[in-house]
Amino acid sequence: MRLQALIGISVAAWLLVIVETYVFFDVIIPLGPALHSIGVFTAIALLKIALTFGLGALWFVVIVSLTEVYERSLEKRLPPTPSS
Amino acid sequence: MLAIMPQYLKFLIRRGNTVDDVHKQPVSKVPSPVGPVIFAAAAFGEIVAYLTYGSLVPLAVLGASAVAFAIGLYDDLAVLGGKVKPILLLFAFVPILVCLVFQSDLYGTRLFFPILGATGAHFTIYTLLAVAAFPIVANAFNMMDSFNGEVSGFTVLVSLALIAGVVLRSLAEPGFSVARLAATLPLLAVSAGFYIFNRYPSRAFDGNSGSLMLGTMFAALAITGGVEIAAIIAILPSILNSFYILASLRGFVERRQMGSRPTYMTPDGLLHASGNPNAPSTLVSLVLLPGPLSEKELVKNILLLTAVTCLLSVLTSVLTWVY
Repeated sequence: MRLQALIGISVAAWLLVIVETYVFFDVIIPLGPALHSIGVFTAIALLKIALTFGLGALWFVVIVSLTEVYERSLEKRLPPTPSS
Repeated sequence: MLAIMPQYLKFLIRRGNTVDDVHKQPVSKVPSPVGPVIFAAAAFGEIVAYLTYGSLVPLAVLGASAVAFAIGLYDDLAVLGGKVKPILLLFAFVPILVCLVFQSDLYGTRLFFPILGATGAHFTIYTLLAVAAFPIVANAFNMMDSFNGEVSGFTVLVSLALIAGVVLRSLAEPGFSVARLAATLPLLAVSAGFYIFNRYPSRAFDGNSGSLMLGTMFAALAITGGVEIAAIIAILPSILNSFYILASLRGFVERRQMGSRPTYMTPDGLLHASGNPNAPSTLVSLVLLPGPLSEKELVKNILLLTAVTCLLSVLTSVLTWVY
């Protein structure tokens, strides 16, 4: 089926949102007190912010990697593009 | 909309407001932009919702849509740069802020996640995220407006997912305003009406005034309806499409400014993914990678993928509001 891989990537993107939400709520938030009570420029606050951005970065890396694997697996089959 | 559109199309043709439908052989002329009719129909629906329920939610949605419509219409007539449009679209949030002064519960300031519940209430953080959402979502819809029936069919599907999310939320929260649900219905109505004229072979193109307005309206409804996560899941194909383009071109670039096209058409009318390594990756080129397709088949595949993400969106709403 033509859309199998793209549906797989979309489902992976969705599952990552669910799993990363769980990590955010159950791992990152309980790491320490709320940011507004300890200030942003403390070690634990910066760690929480970095981990949150890390979750976002992980989402992009996984989706880009999956897409590249899909592209590479099919690009060899592409005929040369007409110059016009 | 169904009554006005045929007359408006004749008006556009008389004035010579037509654009090339480049995916036809021979190239055909299609009246454009019909964004003004789409906006007028949406405005009518939102005003009726406001008069029926008295809530400012429909007016806030209408105001945000009006700003995006004006930006899109200017772009249709005079062409805005790829970087100027996203900046201007940030102002679509202004009408929502104005309405917020008169109705403090216009939007919630907590994000509701599946299974785990809500974040704490953070007005500043939530509002900043909401402001940033407008150019992202509007641009994502605009990028999905390349083929006959693509953006209209896409909007029909994602508005159904959005409505499902708002219905589930209103069932889970007895105090949840029905006006928020009523405000979502014009988006489904206008996109379904537009689809009749925009489906293959197109008799009308919306122009940027239409696609930016539909995207902004969707974002405004997701924010006022408090179903942001489900809304993001529903439009995953367009978000991935924008993300692929941004990643391969390294910045906001207009469709018409792309140096190398992601697809090309052969004399038999079939669309192929470009083999040019400089061509940007798009959702369309990824769908075409396994082999060429006609325009009609291509749009059918994109809408099928959107239907899958809409089902995931409904599942997200169930996990958020029912589970």
